[in-house]
Amino acid sequence: MKTSKRAWFVRIAAVVLLIVIGYIMSIIGRGHTLYLDNKALDYEGQHYDAPYKIGIYVNGEQLTKLYENERSSTTCLGQTFTVTLEIMETKNGTEVTETYKIPVPKDMDNVIINIPGYLAGLPQEAYIDEFVPAVTDDVDDEVPDTSDDGVAIGDI
Amino acid sequence: MKEKFNNFNVRSFISANSVPILFIIICAVMIPLSGFSFSYLINEIMTRLGRNSFLILSLLIPIMAGMGLNFGMTLGAMAGQIALILVADWQIWGIPGLVLAAIISIPLSVLLGLLCGNILNRAKGREMITSYFISYFMNGVYQLVVLFMMGPIIPIVHNTLKLPRGYGIRNTVSLLQMRQSVDNALAVYVGGVKIPVLTLVLIALACLFIVWFRRTKLGQDMRAVGQDMNVARDAGINVDRTRIISIVISTVFAGFGMIIYLQNMGNFSTYSAHTNVGMFCIAALLVGGASVEKASIGNVFLGVILFHTMFVVAPSAGTKITGDSMIGEYFRVFVSYGVITVALVMYEAKKRKENRTLGRQLAIEQAAEEKGETA
Repeated sequence: MKTSKRAWFVRIAAVVLLIVIGYIMSIIGRGHTLYLDNKALDYEGQHYDAPYKIGIYVNGEQLTKLYENERSSTTCLGQTFTVTLEIMETKNGTEVTETYKIPVPKDMDNVIINIPGYLAGLPQEAYIDEFVPAVTDDVDDEVPDTSDDGVAIGDI
Repeated sequence: MKEKFNNFNVRSFISANSVPILFIIICAVMIPLSGFSFSYLINEIMTRLGRNSFLILSLLIPIMAGMGLNFGMTLGAMAGQIALILVADWQIWGIPGLVLAAIISIPLSVLLGLLCGNILNRAKGREMITSYFISYFMNGVYQLVVLFMMGPIIPIVHNTLKLPRGYGIRNTVSLLQMRQSVDNALAVYVGGVKIPVLTLVLIALACLFIVWFRRTKLGQDMRAVGQDMNVARDAGINVDRTRIISIVISTVFAGFGMIIYLQNMGNFSTYSAHTNVGMFCIAALLVGGASVEKASIGNVFLGVILFHTMFVVAPSAGTKITGDSMIGEYFRVFVSYGVITVALVMYEAKKRKENRTLGRQLAIEQAAEEKGETA
């Protein structure tokens, strides 16, 4: 059976479409674990103080309140982290609320964002760092059980 | 309509629907014994309807093409799992992760489907047992890929996925960041029952595809091949190609179905999640009243409801009756395998009966012809 030119065109177009959709998904679905720090920062000989308190709101819900030298974590899909910060510079001071769009590097899984550094308008390498979890020697899973006893099928 | 009603025969109806009727009785007895509330049961059934229906729908097309119950759907499940492992390693989360996994599973499923279809064409008339053993064979290949090739050959970056020795995938793969992302999208709650609308929409699309496909030229060809391969060949249909396409479609659907199934679960056992998939899907379809040679979309949904109701209530009912929950667990395993065995025996018995009737008819015709010649 001979395949017509039109059929080949449709097939190639379908494959290209799937590749394009796959690529878009890999961009918009790239997940990051973000660690938000409210810590003082030294960069190029300059010192940047941490505010007294930062209220963090993600998707309209309060994630946490960070006091000086505290850290919180959240997750984010895609390369932009939209967050609303409620900043109080000094104790009993006035609160300033603003929404920020923080760019997140695609190649980093666990990202530490230093909020005082970001607010000071420093370059990305100053306020973003990669969090590398310590590798622990797990005792489980060394030899996976690939046999199937065929008795219980568990939950299906 | 009236004529249809007049022709209705209770005995033939019961004999044609013996398995669903038996399961309705089993469920009717077990539900009160289990002590579960109505809303809990409905919630469980709704969850399982969303979780399993797509997988079971993948069995319909090979039945249409006369290839029986496709135990080779496990191959599609393996493709889906490999795709999910890769997506989990690339840290693509949520619905985009599942869409990407579905896209990655397509070429893997197509390749495995082509392999399976070609082998089944060399084993015509023995498709079910052959596909069953292909799934065993491919399980070995899957283990080779996942246990030894993932890491050194197929790059796997994250230690949470890799075994401590540095290569191979851990026993359990967590899909926490994709867990129920399809089920929760557009979900609505009716009387405390969660209805996973998006999942049901996907299942409805699969049903529509099957209904549409049956009406296409290829679908008609498949039905012709399913009825009689020789007649179909004489009519100019490329029988082997048609059969291969049916297996490829089934395998691709099984890959999608496994992704939907696993996103609902939220994690999966790397080396055994796929092994029972074929068995319980086939059991559910048969419980829904399908046979080796005939199955409909209605059988899929009835099967999921009855089989999974039994599955949910059996351990609790077993505990109430015998004081041991394992009795219920053994019961549901016994029923799952038993219903497949009974269906296969019934199919074989029916075939033999048909052959006998045909033989007798031929003998009568021959005798009549001989009588005519002598006269």
